[in-house]
Amino acid sequence: MPAGPTERPTIGVALKWVDLRPEVDPLTGAIHDDLHSFGCSEADRAALEWALRLAESWPGGDVDGERAEPPDVVVVTAGPAEADALVRDALAAGATRGVLVDVAPDAPSPEVAALLTGVLEGADLVCCGDYSVDRGSGSVPAFLAAGLGAVQALGLVHLEREPSGTLRVTRRLDHGRREVLAVQAPAVLSFEGASAELRRAGLAAVLSARDIAIDVVPAIAGRVARTQVTRRAPYRPRSRSLRPPAADLDVRGRVLSLTGALVERTPPRTIRADAAEAANLVIDQLRTWGYLE
Amino acid sequence: MTEPRTPDFDVIVVGSGPAGASAALVLARAGKRVCLLERGPFPGSKNMYGGVVYGRILDTLIPRWWEEAPIQRWVTRRGTVIMTEQQSLTIDYRTTAWGEAPYNGATTFRPDFDSWLAGHATDAGAVLVTSTTATGLLRDGAGRVTGVRTDRPDGDLSASLVIACDGVNSFLAKEAGLYPHAVPENFTLGAKEVLALPRDEIDKRFGLTGHEGADFEIVGCTRGIAGGGFVYTNLDSIAVGVVLSVTQLATAKVRPEELIADLKRHPMVAPWVEGADLKEYSAHLIPEAGYDMMPTLAADGMLIAGDAAAMCLAAGIWLEGVNFAIGSGKAAGEAALEALVTGDVTAEGLAGYRSRLDDSFVLADHKRLRRVPELLMSERMQTQYPQLMCNLVEGMFTVTNPTPKKGVVALGWQELRRAKVKIRHLLRDLWTSVRTFG
Repeated sequence: MPAGPTERPTIGVALKWVDLRPEVDPLTGAIHDDLHSFGCSEADRAALEWALRLAESWPGGDVDGERAEPPDVVVVTAGPAEADALVRDALAAGATRGVLVDVAPDAPSPEVAALLTGVLEGADLVCCGDYSVDRGSGSVPAFLAAGLGAVQALGLVHLEREPSGTLRVTRRLDHGRREVLAVQAPAVLSFEGASAELRRAGLAAVLSARDIAIDVVPAIAGRVARTQVTRRAPYRPRSRSLRPPAADLDVRGRVLSLTGALVERTPPRTIRADAAEAANLVIDQLRTWGYLE
Repeated sequence: MTEPRTPDFDVIVVGSGPAGASAALVLARAGKRVCLLERGPFPGSKNMYGGVVYGRILDTLIPRWWEEAPIQRWVTRRGTVIMTEQQSLTIDYRTTAWGEAPYNGATTFRPDFDSWLAGHATDAGAVLVTSTTATGLLRDGAGRVTGVRTDRPDGDLSASLVIACDGVNSFLAKEAGLYPHAVPENFTLGAKEVLALPRDEIDKRFGLTGHEGADFEIVGCTRGIAGGGFVYTNLDSIAVGVVLSVTQLATAKVRPEELIADLKRHPMVAPWVEGADLKEYSAHLIPEAGYDMMPTLAADGMLIAGDAAAMCLAAGIWLEGVNFAIGSGKAAGEAALEALVTGDVTAEGLAGYRSRLDDSFVLADHKRLRRVPELLMSERMQTQYPQLMCNLVEGMFTVTNPTPKKGVVALGWQELRRAKVKIRHLLRDLWTSVRTFG
């Protein structure tokens, strides 16, 4: 349940510990990680910045005669002991508490989300990046929202808190359009990387963050059913059979013949039609190409 | 600025390369409060070098370091190559003794090696602060250095003493007025490519097994631009690079990567690198002029070490940097400790740094070899002598039947005339070499 008017609200921030510059073997597809290049994505950094801005703009003062405390910004990351550095960076930037969930870096999204849910239970808001850089699908925020029973807003580029407590968030749509949503806590908000630049931590904060205790939560084996990858092969696009060019063609002609360049084609058409007419046109075209009887 | 009553640290070491990490290690082990400031995201992230780490100096800091250091290969094959466009003459030495403890030299990746060494400093209690650049010095009313200003918000950090190990282009040393000789002629540019090859292929091409490694230093491969080249082996990659006079490179209007490409095409090097994939390109300035370019080493409240103090030996057959950085950093740490104990961190109180360096290989080698940079960078050494030597050897080994063989002396005279080398210059250079290396 979200915090009451005098309870200290909690803003959770989920950061993913990931290799930002992995080396991929082009032949085998094997990935070589380097601990030196681990960190979190720009999207996660933006999420932390929005959480800190929100905490700073949270109304203070007395509420019904009691002092309202500023929100607790809890940063949580899932990963090995080395991910501790990421949490400390977040604490130096202004987070108030850090939690490290001890889980394998390749843990699937439902498992990570289940562990994060356990840590962030009761948070008013959870901010995270919209997807991670290691081929992330952006599914953890959705699993997290489901686990917390929270609403979800994704692909955000802006966040404001209205005096009523409603959050007004802006998300990016296709073709440069924007959509403004009114969101009530509890909510999981996922941000785009370019939406904010994480502040640079002060030197005193960097030094003091070294000594802040970080809660370490052990992973619970078998909590979520996992699908195991038993074999992985490199990506091999399907081969295409090409008819050999005529023997009497010169080099240019052979290249043109193989690539299909400069061959006359039916030019694309732009048709303006209502839905029913457009559907008929698509069906006609598919018949022309032989896809439909 | 008012001097803080209690400094944040006893010592701030700027730069966590080999010099800085060694200084911090010595001080932290003695129980001093040390801050190790690094501008990159981790120690070694900004560093590059051209070959081999000679670890003997490490014996005094980390006993049996070879059992834990992140080494790529132990150098058991060491070559010095004289090269022209089509020819090469190699003194190729190999020994299995260098492949066994306590070893001689090793190739390593600097991000790994520097992180490892700095890890020893932090394990001993030094506080490592990364991604933070020291942008200037803090001073008290008397001009004594009392700390550094960083690029972080509220970024002033005070200490009784600052040790600047901030690399070849040391802004802190310049700001302190310790570096009057920072002219471009004193610097070279090192540029290298790291080329990936399977480990067993490298073993085959260089005749190596296990963790054996090879290192070749080359002269005559830089189109007459003063400098040289190098090739060395990592576990599954080969580094090929050049070191070039900055001013001559600018005058020649040649890009360093063109010279690396020349080197890779050379008949001696091409079979080594054939089919390799370019993994990394990097470049770095080197303080090449040796003893004569060294700055004043101490100011009130400040010492400088490593490349920042030009502690890099570029003496032809000896090209060493990391060990000199470690040696100077260790000496700086010991001198700082002594000054902190006596409570005198003025330049006079820190004089022990200079005397420690004088007594060690760091300045002894630099002093002894001070004439070498000038000798090596001369046009004769870069173009005329390589041509002369290669032609002489080619003449010796070319069978001219049915014409009878020429005597070596006759060949020598012939090649001297062909290379347009004056006898008096040759004698003078020989005399300088004997005095320097002898």
